[in-house]
Parts: sequence; C-alpha cells; structure tokens
Amino acid sequence: MEQPYLLIVASSLVIGLVAGFVMHRADFCVTASFRDMFLFRDFFLMRQMILLVVASMALFELGRLGGIISIYPFPLLNPPSLANAIGGFVFGIGMVLAGGCVCGSLFKLGAGSFASLLAVIGMIGGATFYAEIHPQWSAFARSTVLVENTITLPQWLALSPSTLLLPLLVLGGFWLSRQFRAGRMVRQSFAAGHLAPWQAALILALLGFASYVLIGMPLGITATYSKIGASIESLFAPVHVQNLAYFSLQPLNYTPPFATQAIQGGPGPQLDAIAAIQYPLILGIICGALVSALSLGEWRPRWRLPQRQLWSALVGGLLLGLAARMAPSCNIWHLWGGVPILALQSLLFVVGLLPGTWVGAQILTRFVIR
Amino acid sequence: MMNRTIDLDICGQVCPSCLLLTLKELNSNSAAIRAGSFDVMVVTDDRQATATIPATAERMGFCSEVARLDGTYRIRIFGNV
Repeated sequence: MEQPYLLIVASSLVIGLVAGFVMHRADFCVTASFRDMFLFRDFFLMRQMILLVVASMALFELGRLGGIISIYPFPLLNPPSLANAIGGFVFGIGMVLAGGCVCGSLFKLGAGSFASLLAVIGMIGGATFYAEIHPQWSAFARSTVLVENTITLPQWLALSPSTLLLPLLVLGGFWLSRQFRAGRMVRQSFAAGHLAPWQAALILALLGFASYVLIGMPLGITATYSKIGASIESLFAPVHVQNLAYFSLQPLNYTPPFATQAIQGGPGPQLDAIAAIQYPLILGIICGALVSALSLGEWRPRWRLPQRQLWSALVGGLLLGLAARMAPSCNIWHLWGGVPILALQSLLFVVGLLPGTWVGAQILTRFVIR
Repeated sequence: MMNRTIDLDICGQVCPSCLLLTLKELNSNSAAIRAGSFDVMVVTDDRQATATIPATAERMGFCSEVARLDGTYRIRIFGNV
C-alpha cells in the first residue's frame, strides 16, 4: 500500500479499535445523552457530551494555533442550508428508534446486539436509497442555503476563530469544573471493567484530534454505508448504479497531512479515499467493542427480541442512513467535529436533532417499548 | 411471609428498555414492593442499566443490589424493610 493510504488506513483502524473498546467500557451512547433528557429528565450523559465537545474545541483550536492542524475548516463541510436541520431532525427520530446512532450501533453490534445488526442493515438501506432522491434533495439543499460561501460562524461574523472560541472555552471550562466539583460528572456503575464516561469523553476527544492531525478530518462514517449499499446493488443492477448521479460524485478532494498528492473519494462503490478512511474505522469500532465484550465474558448474541423492537431497529436504521446522507453526515461528524469549530452546518444539524430526538422518544414509548 | 419476585429478563433489548420496563413495574407495584411483598429482579446485559436502575430506584425510595452472573447483570430492587 502506498502513501498516503498506509498512514490513513493504519490511523483509522487504530482509532476505531480504541474508540470501540472505550465506548463499550463506558457505554458511551450519544443517543442516550439526547434521548434521556426528554425521557427521564436525566442530563448526566449530556454533560459528558458537552465535555467531549469542549475538549475537542480546545484541542482543535490549540492544534490550529500551533500549526499541527493545517486544513481548516476540514474537508466535506459546505455552507449551511435548511437541509442540515431537516437531516438532523430525521436523524434524531432514527437514532432513538434504532437504539443507537451510527457509531453507537456499531459498538453495540460488536458487543453482540442483534438489534444493532438490524439497525446497521437499515442504515445501509437508507443511505443507498438516498441515491434515488439525491437530485431533488440536493436541489432543495442548494435553494435553501442560508449564507453563501461560508462554512463557520467566525467566517460569517468576519472574526478570527479564536475570538469566538476562547470565550466559549473559558465559559465551558468554568461550567464543567463546577459540574465536577458538584459530583454531577460521576455516577456509580456496577458494570465490570467500567470506564467513567468523563474519561471516555476525553479519550474520544483525543481520538478525534488524532484523526484531524493524521488524516485531515475528524471521525466520520456514513458515506461508507452508501458505498456498501452501492456495492451490493451493483451485483443486481449494475447499470442502474452507474446511472445514479449520486454514486458518481467525488466530494472529497484534498491533500491529506503528510502527503504530497491530492486524493479523491465519494459515495460510489469504488475503493477510494473515503473507503481508506472509513472502512478501517468501522471495522475498528466493531472489533474494539468485540474485544472488550469478549475479554469481560459479556459477548452473547441474543436473537429473540420483541417483534416491535426488531422493526423499530430496522426502521430506525433506515431513517438514520437516509438522514445521514440528507444532512449530510452523522452526529459524530457534526458533534465531535463540526460543532467544535462552530461549523454552521453542524450547528443547524444539532438544532434539528433536538426536536427529532423528542419525537423519536414519543414514538418509542407509545409504540415500541410497552 | 415469603417474598414474591417479579422477574424481568430484558437481555438484548433495544435501549432504554431496561429502565423503562423497570420503571413500569416499580410504578405498578410500588406499595407492595415497599411493604416487602414483592421484589423485582431485572436480568440484563445492558451495562448502563447497572448505573441508571439503582440510581433511579434509590431516588424512588427503594433499595437495590447488583450481582454479575455469566456475563449478565442481576439487579434486585426491594423495599426498605
């Protein structure tokens, strides 16, 4: 394997392995952090999420100021559009019904969850179906762009990133220190090999930073669900796949750190830069959680679940996969990557994600878990 | 008088089945559990439930204990008697 692919594949795999292991040990669930606010008025996991965002914000900004991060903002971000908020809304419903987001479902799948396997299959289906509606949806996204040629909030306000980020970091650090002092960041758990969620949040922030430094962008997964779907669809309908405009796109075109030549990638079935970044990450997350569960003696696949939950996982997965392409991208891309640099797309995604999670929680409690 | 146990096997179910189904039982049988007539035994493989269920039970005035057996967790909730 040639540079820069060797570094990208190796980095993604190691980052994925550590992330999967850590998320399983801490049961670090982004879905729960949003859902539990609405279902149980429980803000414990949301506090950990805020810690992750603030820590990522500090690391990214220090990296930018120190010259370790050279690509800023990172690739694949676009000007904000109404499509980001609508994508976030549908994503919120999907992640609650699936019992985990794109990342959470992967680590739960690694730990033996059959519901998460269905959710991942649904995600592949949803992300593949998106190709059918891409021409209409991308036209809608273009027609509802809110600020042309602008990626981040500091750009929009014509300020340097530090002017906005440093006050936010001071406020966030002050608030978090108060939460720690009040004992609100720690909760007793009786799980074997338990890792405190705040420790997991810091490790995940470091992994996102490592990804940004080594690969040129934070963690992302969902373009590969389209790739997997397109590869499967090619076996049955190759001409149809070739004729779909979405699978011909090459939205990723950048020169990674430690590389001298540009690399390209897109959602089509070919092995390209997206495949080099995301396939090892996905594999790593599943295997990291698998190793963690096996080492604790807790890996046991369980197939017999209430039928309502099986359908919920599958439908939730479909919505997740579709929404992750509509938004575009998933919650970890936006929460652990875009929000820390105040990307307008990501902020809009979160604006949509909150009511979507509430709607998902209503459906879950009325029709699924009874 | 011997306690009766309400068994809840929630292994493998979609999150947050554990906490929701446990809350349903606690709310439905609150007085009997407090009086010591019933215990609730939750069997789960959800690691997060080992933190959320005891904390919730405690907030509601119940007692709880967690044991690990064969890679799953058994959370017993009982009245403060």
